[in-house]
Amino acid sequence: MIRLRGDFGVPPHPTSMAFPLSMVSFDSALPILAAGGIGAPTLPDLGWFTNSIFVAIVVTVAILLFTRMATKRMELIPGTKQNFVEYLIEFLYGQVEGIVGKHVAPRAFPLLATIFIFVLVSNWFGLIPGVGTIGFGEKTAFMSVDSSFKDAEGHYTFVPLLRPSTADLNMTLALAVVFMCVWLYLSISELGLWGTIVHIFGPKGGVQGALKWGLMIVFFVVGIIEVVSIMFRPMSLSLRLLGNIYAGETLLHTMGGLGEALGFPGWLAKISSVIFPLPFYFMEILVGALQATVFSLLCAVYIKLSTTHEGEEHH
Amino acid sequence: MASILETFGLDWVKFFSQVIIVLIVYGILSKFAFGPVLAMLEARRRRIAEGESNLETIKAEMGRAEEKVREMLAQANADAERLITEARDSAEAVRSQKTQEAVKEAQQILEKAREASRLEHESAMNELKRDFGRLVIDATSKVTGKVLDDKDQKRINDEAVGQVAL
Repeated sequence: MIRLRGDFGVPPHPTSMAFPLSMVSFDSALPILAAGGIGAPTLPDLGWFTNSIFVAIVVTVAILLFTRMATKRMELIPGTKQNFVEYLIEFLYGQVEGIVGKHVAPRAFPLLATIFIFVLVSNWFGLIPGVGTIGFGEKTAFMSVDSSFKDAEGHYTFVPLLRPSTADLNMTLALAVVFMCVWLYLSISELGLWGTIVHIFGPKGGVQGALKWGLMIVFFVVGIIEVVSIMFRPMSLSLRLLGNIYAGETLLHTMGGLGEALGFPGWLAKISSVIFPLPFYFMEILVGALQATVFSLLCAVYIKLSTTHEGEEHH
Repeated sequence: MASILETFGLDWVKFFSQVIIVLIVYGILSKFAFGPVLAMLEARRRRIAEGESNLETIKAEMGRAEEKVREMLAQANADAERLITEARDSAEAVRSQKTQEAVKEAQQILEKAREASRLEHESAMNELKRDFGRLVIDATSKVTGKVLDDKDQKRINDEAVGQVAL
C-alpha cells in the first residue's frame, strides 16, 4: 500500500492517510524518479509544472479536442457528438438565462459554462483509477520501487503522479479569481461604475423621502459588509470546491487502505481495498457533479445580484 | 493569512499558471464551442420559425387553393349542367325538327304516292273505258252488222262510258 503524509500541520507519519495539499513540482520529483529507477524524465525543469497542472492541461486538451471534433463541421442536422455538445450547451444556456436574465446571459454564459464543464471533468477525472494512487513512495510490492522522497524525519512521502486539478487550491482559486474579474467587468458594464457603487451602498427596497435619508447610514454599513462579503467570495468559492474534492479523494484512499489499517490479512486487505471504496465512488460521482453545479450556480447568482437594475428587483 | 494559504499549498507561480490554463479554456471554448453552437442553435431556431411561418403561409395558400378548386368545381358543375341542358334542349329541338321533317317528308311521299296511284288509277280507268268503248263498239258493230261511222262510234262510246261511270 501507498504511504501518505499527514498535512495541515500534522507531523508526517508513515501510517497517516492524507495527501499533501502542497503540490510537488516535477523539478523536485526528478531526483526521485531517477533514484527510483523508473528513468529520469526529459521534462524541462519547470517549477510551476506540477502534477495537478499536468492534469489540468490533460483535461483542457480533452475538452478542447472533443468540442473541436464536435463543432468542426457543424450541420443543421447534427451528428452524435454535435448533438451532445448542442444539448449540453443549450441546457446550460437555459439554466444561465433563467438565473441572470436574457440581457446578461449572452455575456455571462461562456465563463459560467466553461467553469461548469471544466470543474465537472476535472472532478470526475480524479475518479479514474490510478489518479492520486500511482506515484512515488515506499516500496509496497515486488514490482514497485522505493523512492527517496522522504521528509525531514526520514518517513516516506507519497507523491502522486496525477492529481485532480480541483484538489489543488491554485486551480480552484484561479477559477474563482477569473470569475471575479469577469463578474466585476459585467457589473460595471451593466450598471456603470457609479451605478455599481450605488447598487452596493445605496438604499434598497425603493424607500423614498426622509426614510431614505434616515436609512442611508444603515445601507452604507450594509454596503461595507457587502464589500467584505464580495472580497471573501473567491476564497469561499475556491475552498468549498477544494475541500469537497480533497475530502472525497482522502475518503476514497482511506477506504482503500482501511482493511490494512484494521489489520486484515493480506488477501482480505486487498479485497477490502476494492470493496470498501466502491460505494464512495458513486457518491463522489454525485459530489463531482454537485460541486460543479454549486460553483457555477453561485457564480451565476453573484452575477445576477450585481447586474440587476433597481427597478427590476421589484418585479 | 499567508501561512494559511501556504498550508493550503497556494503558490503564486502555480496559481498564475492555473489562471492561464483557465483563460485558455475560457477563450477557446468561447470561440470554438459556445459561439458556433449558439450560432447554430440560433440558426436552427430561426429556420424552425421560418418553417412555421412558411407552414402558416402554405396552409393559407392551400386554403385559398382549396377554395379556388371548390369554386372551379362549382363553376365546372354549373357549366356542365348548363351544357347538358343546352345539349338536351338542342337535341330535343333537333329531334323535333327531324321528326317534323320526317313527318313532312313522309306526308310528301304519301301525297306523291297517292297522286301517282290516283293518276295510275285514272289512266287505268281511261284505258279501261277506251277498251270497254271499243268492246262495246265492236260488239255493237258485230251485233248490228253495221259499219259504224265515227259519229256513231263516238256516241256509242260516250254512252257506254257514261253507263260505266254510273
